[in-house]
Order: sequence, then structure tokens, then C-alpha cells
Amino acid sequence: MTLDSRVPGGPIAEKWDRRKFENKLVNPANRRKYEIIVVGTGLAGASAAASLGELGYKVKLFGIHDSPRRAHSIAAQGGINAAKNYRNDGDSIYRLFYDTVKGGDYRAREANVYRLAQVSVDIIDQCVAQGVPFAREYGGLLDNRSFGGAQVSRTFYARGQTGQQLLLGAYQSLMRQVDAGTVDLYPRREMLDLVVVGGQARGIVCRHLVTGELESHAGQAVLLCSGGYGTVFYLSTNAVNSNVTAAWRAHKRGAFFANPCFTQIHPTCIPVSGDHQSKLTLMSESLRNDGRVWVPKAPGDKRPPAQIPDADRDYYLERRYPSFGNLVPRDVASRAAKAVCDEGRGVGETGLSVYLDFADAIRRLGADTITARYGNLFDMYKRITDEDPYQVPMRIYPAVHYTMGGLWVDYTLLSTIPGLFVLGEANFSDHGANRLGASALMQGLADGYFVAPYTVANYLGGTATPPVSPEHDAFKEARAASQARIDQVLAVKGSRTIRQFHRAIGAICWDYVGMSRNEEGLQKAVTEIRRLREAFWQDVSVPGDRNNLNPALDYAGRVADYLEFAELLALDALERRESCGGHFREEFQTPDGEALRRDDQFSYVAAWEFQGVGARPALHKEPLVFEEVHPSQRSYK
Amino acid sequence: MRLQQASASSIGSKILVALTGLALFVFLIGHLAGNLLFLAGPEAFNQYAHALIGNPLVYVAEVGLLSVFLLHVAKTVAGVLANRSARPTAYATRRWAKAKNPRSRKSLASTTMIVTGVFTALFVATHLATFKFGTVYEAAGIRDLYRLQLEIFSAPGYVVFYLVAMGVILFHLWHGLSSAAQSLGVDHPQWTPRLLVLGRVLSVAIAGGFFLIPIYTFLLSRGVL
Amino acid sequence: MAMTVTLKVWRQAGPAAPGRLETYTATNVHPDMSFLEMLDVVNEDLIRAGQDPIAFDSDCREGICGSCGLVINGIPHGPDAGATTCQVHMRRFRNGDTITIEPFRARAFPVLKDLVVDRGAFDRIIAAGGYVSMNVGGAPDANAVPIPKDVADRAMDNAQCIGCGACVAVCKNAAAHLFTSAKIAHLGLLPQGEAERGRRVVQMVEQMDAEGFGSCSNEGECEAVCPKQISIASIARMNRDYLKAALGK
Repeated sequence: MTLDSRVPGGPIAEKWDRRKFENKLVNPANRRKYEIIVVGTGLAGASAAASLGELGYKVKLFGIHDSPRRAHSIAAQGGINAAKNYRNDGDSIYRLFYDTVKGGDYRAREANVYRLAQVSVDIIDQCVAQGVPFAREYGGLLDNRSFGGAQVSRTFYARGQTGQQLLLGAYQSLMRQVDAGTVDLYPRREMLDLVVVGGQARGIVCRHLVTGELESHAGQAVLLCSGGYGTVFYLSTNAVNSNVTAAWRAHKRGAFFANPCFTQIHPTCIPVSGDHQSKLTLMSESLRNDGRVWVPKAPGDKRPPAQIPDADRDYYLERRYPSFGNLVPRDVASRAAKAVCDEGRGVGETGLSVYLDFADAIRRLGADTITARYGNLFDMYKRITDEDPYQVPMRIYPAVHYTMGGLWVDYTLLSTIPGLFVLGEANFSDHGANRLGASALMQGLADGYFVAPYTVANYLGGTATPPVSPEHDAFKEARAASQARIDQVLAVKGSRTIRQFHRAIGAICWDYVGMSRNEEGLQKAVTEIRRLREAFWQDVSVPGDRNNLNPALDYAGRVADYLEFAELLALDALERRESCGGHFREEFQTPDGEALRRDDQFSYVAAWEFQGVGARPALHKEPLVFEEVHPSQRSYK
Repeated sequence: MRLQQASASSIGSKILVALTGLALFVFLIGHLAGNLLFLAGPEAFNQYAHALIGNPLVYVAEVGLLSVFLLHVAKTVAGVLANRSARPTAYATRRWAKAKNPRSRKSLASTTMIVTGVFTALFVATHLATFKFGTVYEAAGIRDLYRLQLEIFSAPGYVVFYLVAMGVILFHLWHGLSSAAQSLGVDHPQWTPRLLVLGRVLSVAIAGGFFLIPIYTFLLSRGVL
Repeated sequence: MAMTVTLKVWRQAGPAAPGRLETYTATNVHPDMSFLEMLDVVNEDLIRAGQDPIAFDSDCREGICGSCGLVINGIPHGPDAGATTCQVHMRRFRNGDTITIEPFRARAFPVLKDLVVDRGAFDRIIAAGGYVSMNVGGAPDANAVPIPKDVADRAMDNAQCIGCGACVAVCKNAAAHLFTSAKIAHLGLLPQGEAERGRRVVQMVEQMDAEGFGSCSNEGECEAVCPKQISIASIARMNRDYLKAALGK
């Protein structure tokens, strides 16, 4: 099978207009005859369901939470980029496009990124009109800040709760459609299988998480908006219920999984405090605008930070990257932190953290200004660590935050299964090997508000979708398979808890497929993952029964999928014998320790086709062609 | 939206409770002002009472007052019952959130509104029986309420009962006045905190005035004054 | 310095089943643990002992998704002001403490199991009018309408609501006025929400009443437990908007 990205021809700035013009349309009167299934209620899912509902389609929306408003998009703190150039500082669609392709270390599809930059301006208009209370200046116009090392101020924000406000905006639009009867809400449902009939995605099987009942839902198209797979690492900044299950089950039904090894480790998180830890908390990247990162110069220097004079401190980011300093991209900052900790210069009880020091900023700007900028973050830090960042430097360490990889999609967000669209973090398309700050919210909403409504219409308008009943054999088969898997996991009745397995798979992934990877470690990871997967099916203990609200059972299914998925993650990392973005292979680095890309061999998207659990998946390559932005070594020095 | 529909809603009901409550408070001010004439002596007091009773409009006013009173009672009692059913299972352990955050306005007064309210209603009934429908003395051709009051408050039991009743009303108003303002949507970043204080000051002032009367009358009847 | 605490936890097998408080002992509790991590550990022990773990809702574990919500020793979200249950840490308790844990209780929030309640009523209140009626594609430029900073800030104060339901849980009347008024204030303060201001308050209040929530006694306990410390000034504002709408203005 050859992968057709279906990128329209012509100049990059005209591709999307051309695509829109060439798209098939669906007559307004016919739209309500189309049932569209949307899985996931985050920015991508909620915005897609709302806009498709507004257009008049019949939408069914599924989510694992009790309310669509709780999807993990809600936790994004920093902001959302848009090429509005409201600051007159030289921003443009082209510059946002350029920065994003470069920031992604030249592993994203140019045309997708350009479209993302194009619609970014519409997103802000849309959100303001919905009543999203973005930060404003005294003149009443929108405020912007520079974020994640960008040289222009293009980030819009709502205090430290931008994701929350954008999601609530989409949620409100969604609930308006629920009230109008165009969207049916199915909360507390977990998608367990994709149903493919005649080669088309025609529905899903999901579990009602309160009654345990398996439900079948049929439609003409399925939109998967189920987020990323960061929790495969056990500890991450993701919510504890975030999971790969929906995407993985679609993969097992034929959707290719692309670039799973592109995972983002965020540099500024609160360090791990003990074994009991269930998740890691992100401290907004904006802290690096004023905080200075340092460790002691001498390994093993255990003096309290205040007693370490400047001469004995190593402000390693400022030293190594004089022009970007503390604002280098996330992947670079994370690796640098790991490097100094590996040298034995890490601080804190575990030695796995570095200082983020505000003393200079407080001296320069006053504590009040720092409170105004970061007060809520300082409070959050103090609440968690019991340390006052106004008095002692914060301690931070990198943590898994976002996954750039995901199901492969073409330019229209269609996966390799006709009728299955993949939106937001669940797809692979726009961020390449590293995502820039304030770009995830942009992508989720771009896909949902401004891309899917056109491309779904094109699919429906141009494809024959004969009626399919939820009692079709394919649904029965999928239901039986899901039931069998549930029964199987309940029947093991072993001695180890699900969390123990989750911790174990997380440890393997963090140690061998984390910030720094090498051939030997990845080989070992594959072996260990397989061994752990076998142990799981022999020794896991899942309490309760299937016809009940049973969070442990939900959890068991997700961990079981991670035990399969992790192998693909390690395999992809193994096969990509280069370093790029968040994927750092120790064998491929410049003499001064920077990532070394190998464009001659690896300028492609690795799209994996499932061949069975434990069987080697088939690799398909979509070559990446750069017509506009010519790959160069990223330099932040 | 029809007014009828609005007045049956949770917010409409609370607005009615607030309006009737404030009306009763205004009545209390007038009532106190009139009663303070007792200090001016029998003639002034009885003349004032006569002018009030003698006016045929008093019946209209009394019906109005009674309706306001009954509406206040009906809406609050119905509200309490509805609120009880809004939480069918009680908590095993209950603490005031005020314990963790002083932003709460909860007080003993606010939690006992229905108790103080019911007590007040019972008091009003006794009060009417004692005075309005009590012994009719005459002096100079008009009703001698001065004598009746002197007689009643010469009994220490009555004095204590009235003092307790006034205390209860104070308690009711302590939360009630500012609560009415909140129900009516009065809110201002600077003025709301002052309004809260004003509500308490007014409740103390009105109750203080009413405290004065039985004590003064008692002392007068005992020849102390 | 591990602690040991005694837990009295509400256990209820299903919506219709009777429930009761059961006693558990949590050992090896570390002061840096969050409250929910402590429950995770208790659940691990229960699973190992072949017992049914305690069901509770939780997701982001950083105080923003609004999933978690327990009544800890009689106070929703426990002892810390401006925090959700997941942000409470065990260092707030002492070795040997007995901690009572109950679900949010309200007729409109039926218990599904143990400490998990159904807060769908909140979604239905939002669906009744908690939005600006505008379709994708119809928006003017974002800077077309300037909004004074203090107005935008106040709108944001209200928009911060995470929909956790602690306001209902703490209210002696199980009223949802703080939740409803926060959305009404958020949208009503902004020029974008002005057109539907009257209609919105009427419809949302009607839905709120229909869900079986109680009425407001203006005690402000909701404000005290609100993780985002949303002020009951918003309730006053909602009352005012409602009065205006009722009088046809």
C-alpha cells in the first residue's frame, strides 16, 4: 500500500483554498441523514462535534468522563498561538508556519503546517466571539506574550488556564448543539473497537462505564479525537485516565500508526517525590521567561541553594545557548537537564532535579510583579512541595507531556481506513518531532472547527455509504471480541495489581524510550515489554465484575493496550536511527551533544501497519518533501 | 416570562421573601417609632394609637401587612421544605466551610432563620392577643393602651419573654437584612461589605429600641423611674 | 516518617443500593502524598486482599478538570481553601487521625457507586443557555470589540469555574446557584454575551430548578469551598438579571 497524503498541488499558500474548492459538498437538507460518530470531547472532539452539529449533521459524541468539559485539554496552561501580528513585530502566517516546521525539526508535513498557521487567525476570532475571556490590555485589546522561545509575541492566553477557557468555549458551543438536538451526548463511554464494514469505518463498540454494557453505534463516519499516549510512561503530566485505547484499537483494525517515537518531554515539571506519585504536575513554560535554570558546578554539592555563591553555580542553558538562554525549545532544555543530572549535579533529595531560580527576577522586578505574572503557579508549587519559591529556588525536572506521534492521516485528516478521521493529538500530522509551546491548542481547534467540517463533507459527499445496522455481523463480531477481552482480563485473577504493571511498563519506557535512547536499550525494551505483557495476562488481578461501575476494569483494558502499544513505540524509536526533536538517539549527536538529524535517510513519516500482537508491524514510509522551508541544523546557540 | 412563573422559581421566591422581609422591617421601624412615644407619656401615646386605629384605612393597611407577613412565611416555609428534599441523604459528618475559608457568611443566625422565623410568628400571635385583642381600657374617650402596656410589663415574666423575643428578631435580622439585599441583586465591590455591617447595625438598633420599651415600662411600673 | 490514618469511607454498591460508612486503616501514608494518592494506595491493598476497591472520580490531578470531589471530614474538597480534593496533601493530617470521606450529596447528584456521583445536571444547565449563540465562521476580528481589562478580568474570575459541584455539596440547600451564576456572570459581563442575557438567565434558572437543586440562603458557604473562589457577588448579579428579565426589561 502506498500512502497518499492527498496534498493539493499549487503554491503552499493556495493549497487549502484549492482543497476547499475542490471538496464535495453535502446539501444542507441531506446533512441530518448523516450520522457522525465523534470519540473524545477535548478541544478537537468538542469543536468538531459542535461545528458539525451547527452544519446540521447528526452527531453522536462519546467520552470517558462524566462531562465533556473534563477532557484533558482543560489542563493546558500557557496559551494558543495565532499569526495575528497584533504586536506589529513581524509575525505572519508564513513565519508561524516556518517556526513550526523548524521547531518540529523538519519531520512534519509542510502543507498541513501551513494550513494550521492559516486558520490560526480564525480560531482566535471564533473563540473571542464565543466569549473566551482572553487576557486584555488596558486599552481593551487582546494581550499577547512571547512563549516557548518564539521571537514574536503571538501567544494569546487566559491567565494560566488557556486550555480550560478554550475547552469551555467549545463545550458551550457543543452544549448549544445538544440543546438544539443535533448532537447526542454519550458520557462515561469508552470506545473499545472500531467497526469496519466493506472497508469503511462505520461505527464503534463502546462500554458504558456505569452499567458495563457494551453498546454498538453505527454511522457514516467516525472521528477519533481521543488524545495522546503519554501515560504509557506511567508518570506524565497527562490526566490519569488519558489512554491510547481508542487509537490503538483503531490501529488494530487497520489504521496506520505514525511516528510513535516522537514524544515530548516537558522541561519544567515538579519533580517526583516518591513511589506513591500518580502523576506529574507541569509548571508553565512561561516561568522560563524570568526564572534562571542552574545546578551546582561541582557534582555532589549538597549545600542549600542560598549558600552556593554565583561562582559555584552553572547556569548551563545560558552557558550553552547564549542567544536563547533559558528559552531554548523544550526538547533541548529537557535533555540538558538530564545531562547535568547524569553528571551527578542534580539537586534535591533524589538528585533528579535542577533549580529554576527567581531571585534575580524578584530583585529586578519586585515580588509584586512576579506575583502578578506567576502567582498562581507559585501557589501551586508551594501546595505540592511545601516549599516557597519566593524564598528558595523551584526545583524542576522534565516529564512526559505530549505525544507528537499518532494515527497517520492524510491532508484531509483521513486515516488509512476510509471514513475514519483522526483529529488533534491523536493524529501525527502537524508537530513533526517536537511541538512548540502553545501549538497543541491551536491544532486541536484547527482540526475541529476549520478542517474536519470541510473534509468530512468531502468524504460523505463523494462516498457511497450504504446503510449499516448496529446488528450487522461486523458489530456482533466486534462486540464479542471486546467482551472476550474483558472476560479474559477478569478471569486471570493473579497476584499483581494493574498499577504495578502500569508502573513497570512506564519504567521500561522512561528508562529506554525516554529522553535519551540507544540501540541496545531499545532492543532490551522490546524484550522486556514482551515479557511484561505475558506476565500481565498470567498474573494480573482485576477486582469486581463487568456489569458495574468498575474503574479497575477500565484501567486494566487501558494498561493491556499500553503493553501492546509500547512495543511499537520502542520499535519505531529503534528504526529511526537519527536524532530529531524529542527523539534523541545517543549514537547520533554532534560533537557538542546536539541532536544530529539524518535527512538523507530519515526524512519520512514512519507509518506502521498492525500485523498481530507480537508480530513485527509493516513499515510504510511517507516521504517528506520540503519545498518552502529547507531543513537545516536547528541552532539555538 | 410571566411574572407568575418567575415568582414560583427559586430566585423569584427568594426575591419575594426579600421584598416582604424588607417591608416587614420598614413596618418594624414605624412600629418602634410609635412605641417610643410611650416615653412621652400617656397622652401622646394614646393619641397616636387612636389616630392609627381610628383611621378607616388602617384595615387596608392591616390586610396588606398580614398578606406580606403570610407571603413571607409561606415562601420561606415552602422553601425550607423544598430545600430539605434537595438533599435526601444527610452527611454523616458536617462542618462549616467557614472553618477553612473566612469568605463564608455563615453564622448561627443564618443557620437558624427558620427557627427564629417560626418563633417570631408565634410571638407575633401572642403579641397581638396581648395588645391588639387584649383588655380594652378607656381614658378620655379613647383606648388607653398606655395603661395596658404598663400593666403587662409590670410582670417580670412578660418582660423577659419580650426581651427574648426581641433577641430572636435581632438574630433573624442579623442575617436577614443583608441576605435580602443579596437576593435583590444588590452588589458592589466596595459597598457590599459595608452593607453587611449596616445590616447588623440596623438589626441591633431596631432590637435595641424594642429592648428599651419593656425595660422602661417595667421600671416605670415599679416606680424606679 | 510514614503515618497511619483511619478512614471512614462511604461504600455504596449502586444507585439504588443502601450505603454505609466502612472503616479502613491506611498505613505507610507519606506526608507528600496527595489525598487521592493515599486512596490509590488503600485501593492497591484492597485489591491484593481480594476486596472491591473504593470507587472515586479523578482525572487531571492538578485541580482543573473538576472530576474529583470528596467530602473530607464534613467539608467538600477538604481542609484547604482554594483547592480541589486532588490538591489536598496528607501533610495536612496527623498521624492517628480519623478521616471521614463521603460523596457529594444532593438529590440532583445521585450516587452511582461509593464516592462517584452523577453531575449530568450541570451539563443540562449549560445546555439550557450557557453559551453564546454563534456558529463557526461568523466571527468578526477578535480585536473588533475592545473589552476593558477589568471587565475581561471579572469575566475570567467567573469563567474559571471547573464544574466540580462542591458549591452544591456544601450548601445546606444543595443549591446550584454559584455554578449557574458563574456562567451567567461570565457571559453577561462580555459584550458577546449581552444579546442573550435575559433569555439566558431565565432558561438556565428554569433548568436549575427542574433538576431539583435547592434555593439560595445567601450564606456563602459555596464561595468558601469553591476551588476557584468564585464570589457570591455573581449570585447577586444573577438575581438582578433575573429580576430584570421577569419585569420584561
